[in-house]
Amino acid sequence: MKYDVIIIGGGPAAVAAGVYAARKSMKAAVIADQIGGQSVVSDGIENWIGEKLIPGSELAKKLTDHLEGYKDVIDLKIPEKVESIAKKDNDYHVITSNGEYSTKSIVLCSGGRHRRLGIVGEDQFEGKGVAFCATCDAPFFREKDVAVVGGGNSGLEAVVDLLPYVNKVYLLVRDDAPHGDPVTMKEVEESDKVEIVRHAESQEVKGDVMVEGLVYEDNETKETHELAVQGIFVEIGSVPNSEIVKDLVEINDFGEVVVDHRTNATSDAGVFAAGDVTDGPYKQNNIAVGDAIKALLSAYDYAKKK
Amino acid sequence: MSMAEITIYSTPTCGYCKLAKEFFVKNDVAFTEIDVSVDQDKAKEMVEKTGQMGVPVIIVDNDGKEEVIVGFDQARIEEIIAK
Repeated sequence: MKYDVIIIGGGPAAVAAGVYAARKSMKAAVIADQIGGQSVVSDGIENWIGEKLIPGSELAKKLTDHLEGYKDVIDLKIPEKVESIAKKDNDYHVITSNGEYSTKSIVLCSGGRHRRLGIVGEDQFEGKGVAFCATCDAPFFREKDVAVVGGGNSGLEAVVDLLPYVNKVYLLVRDDAPHGDPVTMKEVEESDKVEIVRHAESQEVKGDVMVEGLVYEDNETKETHELAVQGIFVEIGSVPNSEIVKDLVEINDFGEVVVDHRTNATSDAGVFAAGDVTDGPYKQNNIAVGDAIKALLSAYDYAKKK
Repeated sequence: MSMAEITIYSTPTCGYCKLAKEFFVKNDVAFTEIDVSVDQDKAKEMVEKTGQMGVPVIIVDNDGKEEVIVGFDQARIEEIIAK
């Protein structure tokens, strides 16, 4: 049996593509580790249209319910991990942890994952003070001194999540100031627990069993400093999950899949992509959903002609 | 259905903790929840047990034989409850 389309991913984009594939009566499968996407860790999403405020886990539940409503129409292969994709005679063979499936087309919604600092000690101390989810792990840092690395919105949000628990937060930014939503900025600036460390390039995580410090270089003076902290929260953006298609489609210098923004087609005729894995400029749930629908409808047109 | 005892260490704001708990409820799996944001002794116990501070931590106790799962590893948990 050959699918018309295989949708890869479990975030809002993949779910949107799944729903549309079902409604188009395509022979389709959604393959994902889990349903929810990167917003699962968000305590409260305030820009998901139609909901004033929804926790990430609640959104994940709604997405799951919506997708599972079509489980008799399309195949849901969850949890299952895509390992590679091979192209043979204009069909694609998707190899997963559980098997191999062939399909006429692919809609790739594999999203992104946390960007890491790539510095000494980061891997060694992951979970031992180095953390990637302030919302989740903040209570472990009660009355401790911590650092948040990253001056974007997620860095600011991490600071806000930590404030009720910690003694002090150093916010390390690479340039002159953090850049984020004015509302979150104000909250950070008004707290006397926050110290903004400017022009900071993180260099090394220090510690014995647990994190004890973070070494950074001032990129103006080139001087090295060490902050005595027990926690380090890394919030420096995301990396696209594009490895599985790297030999199949065009990928830019940032690792993003290059798409035609009108159709969400990639450089390979049967592969379409949407969401954070692509070179779309704004990484947003709502945008990912719309783009995924475009990708799916393009895949529908493509598969119909084959 | 497995007779293993399941304990989940969680915080109220942790999305994957909520997903894990919902997964247990949906699959009729009984579990004990420990909120480490309020219970500091249990938080310490969790760190000692796992050597790390990330939640969720799911402990499956099968007749005294403990399996520690860090994070919501849905595939692994499906395997365990299918036993």
